[in-house]
Amino acid sequence: MTASTEPRPHGHPSADDPRVMLDQDIGVFEPVPPYPPRTEREEEFYTLGDGEMFINIGPQHPSTHGVLRVVLKIEGERVVDLDPVLGYLHRGVEKLCENADYHQAICYTDPLEYVSSLFMEWSPVMAFEKLLDVQVPRRAEYIRVLTGELNRIMSHIMFVGWMALDLGGLTPILWGFIERDEIVEMLASIAGQRMLFNYFRIGGVNGDLNHEFMSRLGRWLSHASSQLQTELQLLNENEIFVRRMRGLGIIDSQTALRMCLSGPNLRATGLPFDMRRAHPYSVYPELDFDVVTRAEGDCLARFLLRMDEIKQSLRIIDQCLNEMPDGPVMAKLPRLLRPRPGRAYAGIEGPRGQLATYAISDGTDQPFRMRIHDPSFVNLQSVGLLLPGHLIADTMAIMASLDPIMGGVDK
Amino acid sequence: MDRALKARLERRFADVLTGPIRQRHDETEMRIGPGDVPIVMRGLHDETEFRFRFLGDLCGVDTGEVMQVVYHLWSDTTPDWLRVVADGLPRDDPRVPTVTFLWKGAEWQEREAYDMFGIMFEGNRDVRRIYMPPDYTSFPLRKDFFLPDDSSRSPGGGVRHMEQTHPPVGAKPGARVRRATAG
Repeated sequence: MTASTEPRPHGHPSADDPRVMLDQDIGVFEPVPPYPPRTEREEEFYTLGDGEMFINIGPQHPSTHGVLRVVLKIEGERVVDLDPVLGYLHRGVEKLCENADYHQAICYTDPLEYVSSLFMEWSPVMAFEKLLDVQVPRRAEYIRVLTGELNRIMSHIMFVGWMALDLGGLTPILWGFIERDEIVEMLASIAGQRMLFNYFRIGGVNGDLNHEFMSRLGRWLSHASSQLQTELQLLNENEIFVRRMRGLGIIDSQTALRMCLSGPNLRATGLPFDMRRAHPYSVYPELDFDVVTRAEGDCLARFLLRMDEIKQSLRIIDQCLNEMPDGPVMAKLPRLLRPRPGRAYAGIEGPRGQLATYAISDGTDQPFRMRIHDPSFVNLQSVGLLLPGHLIADTMAIMASLDPIMGGVDK
Repeated sequence: MDRALKARLERRFADVLTGPIRQRHDETEMRIGPGDVPIVMRGLHDETEFRFRFLGDLCGVDTGEVMQVVYHLWSDTTPDWLRVVADGLPRDDPRVPTVTFLWKGAEWQEREAYDMFGIMFEGNRDVRRIYMPPDYTSFPLRKDFFLPDDSSRSPGGGVRHMEQTHPPVGAKPGARVRRATAG
């Protein structure tokens, strides 16, 4: 990048300075960041060995699920090393939450993981409830589990679609959208919004289940199981797909723990680690479901495991509908929340892994510090371990099998 | 609240604890000095009576007076979350040893804490910006970094949103940074 020679009023050139953009040499790919000093790792990565070259993927690439940029170091067709570059979607949500009050903070968090936004509301809401010592009504807890599991199914369906799309199959995502749209419309009938629901509130949920939701849910449940089975078979019995995925990006359980993997990616290595059982919250202890695991730890295992989880989620939904108690859906709380000073941590099992919020209260109506721990961010990190040795074409398959959502990765 | 865990921690880490162990809801909190992080974490991770194998979260905290690095750990030996607070990092030069020798996955989380708070993780071989551009100079989540009051205007319109900290418009001279009484 050649910066403007004219002196700037405020010191160093800024990437947001329009003049910098105008002067920029467009069209020449320069992967090496120009600014010293470099860290040990950067030094290692940006030094080319014999026969190696850089190739840049993203930030605008159809297979990166958002704006992820990956600098690959390749030798021939093999990936030697890689350096993911994040931050293209960074919105500073943690800072915004510190400057919003407790109710407003939830509006900022739910666009983070835009395909599973109920979970992104659930975790902060749980942390705030801990700060406030609120007892959530049981009916509200059941509604949360019910809608949450619907959202999990929706998110896993999207995963399957994207996964196949990255491998060149167009049908599963189109089929997936049929199911997804039904769930989305169903949730929209109680939340009023199709994607960013903002339905969970501190102390309960915003509004009880209504007739439209129940009738849509009933209609969908009547064919969901068989429909999803058909969709699974589309890929599961596809020899090209299975042979492509098997043995790709293998990770073992101990390495997965060291990489802080969680959720389906960790369970695909054989560890039955599920927050719903490992650290029970809400009404999950009362519900009967299996923690699905698979021993292989490859892309195929991660894919099949999510399909099995959909079946478990259907089981949970069934139980929720049978055991749903009557009663209020909101605890009685003042409009302006001022929790007493303290710290709270709430971790839940999102569709991608452990999704957690760490909130510190200083006694005012705004969180003093709000940390959002997003599983996509931590899971994406292990591409650095999984990719080297694979072909360039497999990078997309491996990355997709980790199921990162760039909104969550970049916060 | 797991009272037994509290007793075990008090017995094992009596010499490094810098404050009382606090418990609330399903969380147990212990405070240590930043220099003791490697030995404490190794003890918690390796010893069979603790077995904290899962790093739930790693984050930085700026209390307005000191910096902290907070670790949340999960173990099958206790129903609680264990929160380890490395306390008392000076704000002008916060430094703490890395935990990447136990959890390689902490690397990006440490990079994030560096990016947002300027906390230096000694031993992490890749401490650089992760979200903000590499030529960025300030640390956005610090308590003396105020959001511009005109944040609704676009950065291209002349508001230097990347810029150094400034107190809000209308603040009295010498107004204090909002600080945690939570400690």
